[in-house]
Amino acid sequence: MDFPALLQWIEASRLATTIRESLLLFPLLESIHVIGLSLVFGTIAIIDLRLLGAASSERPFKRMASDVLKWTWAAFALTALTGSLMFITNASVYYHNFYFRSKMLLLILAGINMLSFELTLGRTAHRWDNTRSAPPAGRVVAVLSLAIWISVVFAGRLIGFTTSRAKQAAPAATDTSLEELFHK
Amino acid sequence: MKQFAQWLSTTFLSVFIQNHNSWVIPAIQSIHIVGIAIVLGSVFMIDLRILGWAGMDQTLRQTTRRFGPWLTGALWLMLATGILMVIGEPVRELITFSFWLKMFLVAVGTLIAVIFLGAVRRHEQYWEEIGEKRQAIKWLAVITFLIWACIIILGRLIAYDHVWGAWSPAEKA
Repeated sequence: MDFPALLQWIEASRLATTIRESLLLFPLLESIHVIGLSLVFGTIAIIDLRLLGAASSERPFKRMASDVLKWTWAAFALTALTGSLMFITNASVYYHNFYFRSKMLLLILAGINMLSFELTLGRTAHRWDNTRSAPPAGRVVAVLSLAIWISVVFAGRLIGFTTSRAKQAAPAATDTSLEELFHK
Repeated sequence: MKQFAQWLSTTFLSVFIQNHNSWVIPAIQSIHIVGIAIVLGSVFMIDLRILGWAGMDQTLRQTTRRFGPWLTGALWLMLATGILMVIGEPVRELITFSFWLKMFLVAVGTLIAVIFLGAVRRHEQYWEEIGEKRQAIKWLAVITFLIWACIIILGRLIAYDHVWGAWSPAEKA
């Protein structure tokens, strides 16, 4: 099976069809996706600001990381699950969408950024645990992390605007244009 | 309200946003989402502290001092971007059931946050020990989180107001 056929097979699956044909499921998935990403970004920002010494700088880093990051991962799982369920409803359109591809690339970059930290400074955290901010490399990772995750949010929102799944589902009445208003 | 929405859509700022809607509206919405992430993240950390599930090396007062300003700051950011979205798409926002239910819950959520942050600031000792004394405060933490989660759902449902059927004013129009 070639790749376009695989995407079409995913779209035609019973799960994808059920979500697509439901009035409520897709908006609900989007909402849970936003709740999940809010917790992902919110908790990651807490750690990034700690690395920068901009907030919580009096708290030991390792203590904070173990306190917060388990919730980040749980929220990320929720976001990935709801994201996948949205993807399958219109797989070939999303797959070819520029912002979808950008977002996936950004997520990979976020992963690489995180790994580069975990494998280096993360392992020596006991040495700078109580300093106000992380060593310079850690601060660079924090700035990159914040920038990448904000870009992920922007790319995600643009996927919705450029794939027009919402517009198909919504009746014309909620999409009243300016011209229509002037005619009324 | 319909007349007001229509008038608003003819104002200069609204026309500007509509004319540049391919990037202005997604950009404002994205900032709005970053804002709710800071709000929900802050509420989440304070609630986890009340429940005893995170931040137990910090007092409740230290936790609210850490996250309170971010919570209120992000709420102002959301108000600003929210107003811009209403100006940009008045009919889409104002003529919906989801929007007004959301505004009601935003008022409730904000009121709880302001009263709670103020109370912890004024009666530090009392609130430090309340977790052990009163189970109700833990329920309040859970309910507060759910209110903000519902606000997010309703925010998304503005684009799908037809799910409310006859309750949606857009359906009747």
